[in-house]
Amino acid sequence: MLNDGNLQTLTEYLQKTLIPDPAVRRPAEKFLESVEGNQNYPILLLTVLEKSQDEVIRVCAAVTFKNYIKRNWRIVEDEPNKISDPDRTAIKANIVNLMLTSPEQIQKQLSDAISIIGREDFPQKWPDLLTEMVTRFQSGDFHIINGVLRTAHSLFKRYRHEFKSNELWSEIKLVLDTFAQPLTELFKATIDLCQTHATDVNALKVLFSSLTLISKLFYSLNFQDLPEFFEDNMETWMTNFHNLLTLDNKLLQTDDEEEAGLLELLKSQICDNAALYAQKYDEEFQPYLPRFVTAIWNLLVTTGQEVKYDLLVSNAIQFLASVCERPHYKHLFEDQNVLTSICEKVIVPNMEFRSADEEAFEDNAEEYIIRDLEGSDIDTRRRAACDLVRGLCKFFEGPVTGIFSGYVNSMLTEYAKNPGVNWKHKDAAIYLVTSLASKAQTQKHGITQANELVNLCEFFVNHILVDLKSPNVNEFPVLKADAIKYVMTFRSQLPKEQLLEAVPLLVAHLQTESIVQHTYAAHSLERLFTMRGANNATLITPAEMAPFTEQLLNNLFKALAIPGSSENEYIMKAIMRSFSLLQDAIVPYIPTLIGQLTHKLLLVSKNPSKPHFNHYLFESLCLSIRITCKANRDTVGSFEEALFPVFTEILQNDVQEFVPYVFQVMSLLLEIHTSSIPSSYMALFPHLLQPALWERTGNIPPLVRLLQAYLEKGATTIASTAADKIPGLLGVFQKLIASKANDHQGFYLLNSIVEQMPPDSITQYRKQIFILLFQRLQSSKTTKFVKSFLVFINLYCVKYGAIALQEIFDGIQPKMFGMVVEKIIIPEVQKVSGQVEKKICAVGITKILTECPAMMDTEYTKLWTPLLQALIGLFELPEDDSIPDDEHFIDIEDTPGYQTAFSQLAFAGKKEHDPIGDAVNNPKILLAQSLHKLSTACPGRVPSMLSTSLPAEALQFLQGYLQAATVQLV
Amino acid sequence: MPTENLCDKRMSKFKNKGKEPTKMRDRRIAECVELRKAHKVESIMKRRNISSVGDEEPLSPCENTDNKQVISETIQEIVANVNGDCPEKQRQGCQAARKLLSRERNPPLKEIIEAGLLTRFVEFLGRNDDPTLQFEAAWSLTNVASGTSWHTQQVVEHGAVPAFIALLASPMLNISEQAVWALGNIAGDGPSYRDGLIDCGVIPALLARLTPDAPVGYLRNLTWTLSNLCRNKNPFPRFSAVQQMLPSIIQLLHHSDKSILSDACWAISYLTDGPNERIDVVIKTGILPRLVELLGFEELTVVTPALRSIGNIVSGSDLQTQAAIDAGVLSALPQLMRHPKSSVQKEAAWAVSNIAAGPCQQIQQLITCGLLAPLVDLLRNGDFKTQREAVWAVTNYTSGGTVDQVVHLVKCGALEAILNLLQAKDTKTVLVILDAINNVFLAAEKLGEVDKLCLLVEEVGGLDRIEFLQNHENNAIYRAAQALIEKYFSEDGDDQCLTTEATDSNFVFGASDLQKRFDF
Repeated sequence: MLNDGNLQTLTEYLQKTLIPDPAVRRPAEKFLESVEGNQNYPILLLTVLEKSQDEVIRVCAAVTFKNYIKRNWRIVEDEPNKISDPDRTAIKANIVNLMLTSPEQIQKQLSDAISIIGREDFPQKWPDLLTEMVTRFQSGDFHIINGVLRTAHSLFKRYRHEFKSNELWSEIKLVLDTFAQPLTELFKATIDLCQTHATDVNALKVLFSSLTLISKLFYSLNFQDLPEFFEDNMETWMTNFHNLLTLDNKLLQTDDEEEAGLLELLKSQICDNAALYAQKYDEEFQPYLPRFVTAIWNLLVTTGQEVKYDLLVSNAIQFLASVCERPHYKHLFEDQNVLTSICEKVIVPNMEFRSADEEAFEDNAEEYIIRDLEGSDIDTRRRAACDLVRGLCKFFEGPVTGIFSGYVNSMLTEYAKNPGVNWKHKDAAIYLVTSLASKAQTQKHGITQANELVNLCEFFVNHILVDLKSPNVNEFPVLKADAIKYVMTFRSQLPKEQLLEAVPLLVAHLQTESIVQHTYAAHSLERLFTMRGANNATLITPAEMAPFTEQLLNNLFKALAIPGSSENEYIMKAIMRSFSLLQDAIVPYIPTLIGQLTHKLLLVSKNPSKPHFNHYLFESLCLSIRITCKANRDTVGSFEEALFPVFTEILQNDVQEFVPYVFQVMSLLLEIHTSSIPSSYMALFPHLLQPALWERTGNIPPLVRLLQAYLEKGATTIASTAADKIPGLLGVFQKLIASKANDHQGFYLLNSIVEQMPPDSITQYRKQIFILLFQRLQSSKTTKFVKSFLVFINLYCVKYGAIALQEIFDGIQPKMFGMVVEKIIIPEVQKVSGQVEKKICAVGITKILTECPAMMDTEYTKLWTPLLQALIGLFELPEDDSIPDDEHFIDIEDTPGYQTAFSQLAFAGKKEHDPIGDAVNNPKILLAQSLHKLSTACPGRVPSMLSTSLPAEALQFLQGYLQAATVQLV
Repeated sequence: MPTENLCDKRMSKFKNKGKEPTKMRDRRIAECVELRKAHKVESIMKRRNISSVGDEEPLSPCENTDNKQVISETIQEIVANVNGDCPEKQRQGCQAARKLLSRERNPPLKEIIEAGLLTRFVEFLGRNDDPTLQFEAAWSLTNVASGTSWHTQQVVEHGAVPAFIALLASPMLNISEQAVWALGNIAGDGPSYRDGLIDCGVIPALLARLTPDAPVGYLRNLTWTLSNLCRNKNPFPRFSAVQQMLPSIIQLLHHSDKSILSDACWAISYLTDGPNERIDVVIKTGILPRLVELLGFEELTVVTPALRSIGNIVSGSDLQTQAAIDAGVLSALPQLMRHPKSSVQKEAAWAVSNIAAGPCQQIQQLITCGLLAPLVDLLRNGDFKTQREAVWAVTNYTSGGTVDQVVHLVKCGALEAILNLLQAKDTKTVLVILDAINNVFLAAEKLGEVDKLCLLVEEVGGLDRIEFLQNHENNAIYRAAQALIEKYFSEDGDDQCLTTEATDSNFVFGASDLQKRFDF
């Protein structure tokens, strides 16, 4: 009800939602949520918003209203309509007016609300919205006009990214019909007003924000295609845009160095508009383009270095970059004077190292590195300038290289005159060389294609090496970082001798104070160590590293002690990579290193915050273990001694990020043991079966792996000392196979149980296991499940014999065995993938064919030849990787490989396990020999079954096996 | 334009790849919303006759003014003359009306209609005793019918159709020609008047005038009117009518006059712009070789509709496409892809994109006939509309081509070119490119060369662009980009030295290669 009492109540509750104390705030929020389904609630909110005397309450009501609209306006199919129709109508009737007459803070909220409503209702269910808005253009009140423009912008901006459809285009057409002409009139009128009020700064500010909004609307309305209206009015728009680009008004210049001012925002949007036309509507825009090129280029020449111009400058440069590589505009650039002037006045100045860069280098190393190293510099000036260099090089590589060589030389000369003052010149020179030389680049190899006109080796020797060799490593850190980066960038271009010369210098730079500098050194070394030479061996060998090994390891760990770098992922990755490269050479240092790594682990486990750092830390641990234990398995105990205390703490405190890693390292350690399972592991065993651990998807793969290691090393121990845990273990299996995402993990576990556990210990559970599998097969049969199921039943057959398999199936339900053979094995075995898996199936099926009397003497006999045919198919035909239609759209979460939060450690991996191993070398021969044995037991039957129903092609393959095994069927 | 509204339809073949072979090719959707101006090279639906008769004096000032007053006075005078009984005055009035309606700018169509003159004009059409009056009336009505649908409607509703059809047989060539013209305007208005004309027997009456001795000017008008009778869908002109006209259109396609050729080609392009049965009717006439020949003409007015027809035909079934290929279309296309006019390049690229949507044998023919080099050129240097078509060609090619064919395309530089276009300001194009990239990766997987491809993509700046697209506002795009990054470029893809050492647990789900059913 709309009455004073209700308004009063609502106001009170709104007030309470602003109180920080949760004991007051939460109940108030709850209350409002509980009444928002009531009819009239939104109208009450709007009334408070309009009538309240308290400014804070008004804003609060506006925000609450917007959130209410966001949550409730959309009508979801099959769900109740959450806002009554009268309320909807009333809101739409009033909101535009209310928005336009409200102060700016409220206006923005209501404008957002309008665009949310518009997204659902416009245009069909809100036909008069546009006309209502357009009539306000005439109001002459720019506060109102800007409100309309802002709302229009939020309604139309989706045209910039939505796919074309008839529905969308009908809407745009409607918008154009009502909006384009008034917008154009408004644009012209606003520009005229700018002249009239050329000296009134306050008026200008409002007018320029209108112009910026109008320009944004232009972009949205022109994005999908060039509308007829705008083609007809191109002259008006482009002439005015062009004038605005060249316009300067002292009154609008801001003192702020960081924040872009209105002029910059407007011009930046105009650059975008011009770029849009140049790219998409080239034919129509051609007459205007040269003018824009000149204007934008003049703009660049006259724009300063301040951060506030960055967006404008990078947009403007990107415009030039996109135009200059189009063949029919090439002539605009080809004049030597033009090129020189672009290089000199546009490119070089924007490559300069600015004070903002310097600040980031010193105070915000992490951000600097991300921008400079990982290419998140997409809209920086330097990046734009680089793109322009590359664009110009498409047609003018020679002249551009020539012009820049001159600049590089003069900048280096400047530097040489007074390095202390002019070091930034050298920085720019290096940057220029880099951007000129790089034609293609990857993270893995650095630059892979270089401009042949640039002599990279000579530059390295003359200008880079000097800096690296300079005895005072902490002097000119920016130049040192540049030099290090140069080595990294051009590592594939520089000859090996030069890289080897650089290695010890890089090692020395690991100790520098500057974070950027030692981080770059670590990263460079890491990259150099991954380079490959002949035979895919590492380019730099452990022997070549021998003289520096100790220094390298020392400095890497010391670098982790430098303030700001204690969890530096680049350094940790370099440690990992060094271990991997040096292999045996690190063994002597392991006692020290493992202590340092463990200590680090203990520290970071208190509050894991750098996922990459932590990942490489665990990788490094795994490498230490593998490398040391490869030389001497007995050392595994000392690792356990060092690591278990930390691991225990991590498990006890349930540090979620680390638990999966701990399980992987433990698996690695346990697998190294040769004799029985140590008691320390057995003590942990019951804890591993706790359901809570299995609730986290990230734990599942490493836990399964760990349990497999337990079974491999300690099956008998479990059977004898922890038999009561077997049901729990099987419970894990049961949980896993119930999930489409994890069923394969369940089978990994089940396979290990069947393979490793003493048969007696699981006899009582066997029938139950199969019943569970059949239930799942019945309820949701997926290809993945069937493949795992086939491998499992064949493994069971190999381990317990074909008769046991047949008896247990038929014991569950009469004729079950025949049904499985007919409905699952024969039609699906072709889908089994993996060498080991196929071998298991081959051996298992051979046993069913030749060691199962029921297959010869009952009604199952009719399946004998088809099963043999399926087996020959498994041997000879390509794998069937087709997937049934209804499985095409299984959710991503249901497929392995997309699991969340499991970070596999590469260096904790284990070799593929083959439960059959050498017992069967060639399953085809085994089949031949087994058939031979069968045929001698019942002479005449096998050849007759073959000749009556096995297709000729299959028979031919079979004869090949028999020949190879030198046996004959009788 | 052909491809404007097809994206959604086209996408179906990617999403359900291999499931709906009949929908593999791209079709024009009958009704599409347009934002752009009607295209300039398109043939005109209606035309006004603004020529002046040779012996006439130039228009008097009152005939060329926009002054409403003056016009209104003139019309009053015309009404008086036309409604009178004096033949001389009638002729005079009719001629004055015709002159007003023939002025270049702002002919007063509405005013003439509102003055109630149409009834009289239609009446005059039957005045076989006064050919001059007939002619002036026919001309006036032609020009009224050349206006909007409403204008045409007024002419039809005044009963002009039967009168014009009767006039076709007039012994006076200029009168018959004017009737041809007027009927063309009425037919061009849309399917409903078109079919109305056909019901009134316009086709046989027109074809009767198609004689070897007819002057070229007459034949031009006749061809244009025939083309309008073939034009428009929803519904298409019925088969029997098409069958009646086709032999004559085919005959006209061999004429030496460029303007006749152009309109005859447009007629073919309308007839082929439909379902496969419609295309079949045209193919059966054996006209394909001639159409291919016309692709080689200099005149844009001929090449454009010929190319449109070919484009329509290769959007048909595999067999129909093959018929076009057999007629030599693939040798004609490269030169059109390098045509100086971007509109021609675009249409050619569209045709290529539809051929590339065919079976791999047809893709192979694209390779053999050397279409890949010009295609890559278009991707690099074409205007945006052309690039968009060329991108479709690449995506279709990579989704239907064999591994070898895909490798060949990449070697020709197509991958680098489409990666550059990831910056395009067109959402659908970007998505289609991501699709093509995915297809190329699938091929690389089969060859075990994913790592190599990753490097190539990164080298040419593609990785940066794909990464950037992960921030795209459009969900489909950001998901597609993210899927590519996650699948092929995720962290430490560089540790191949490790992956060999490190395997997952046992019973891994390995990758699979070929697919073939067991069938002895």
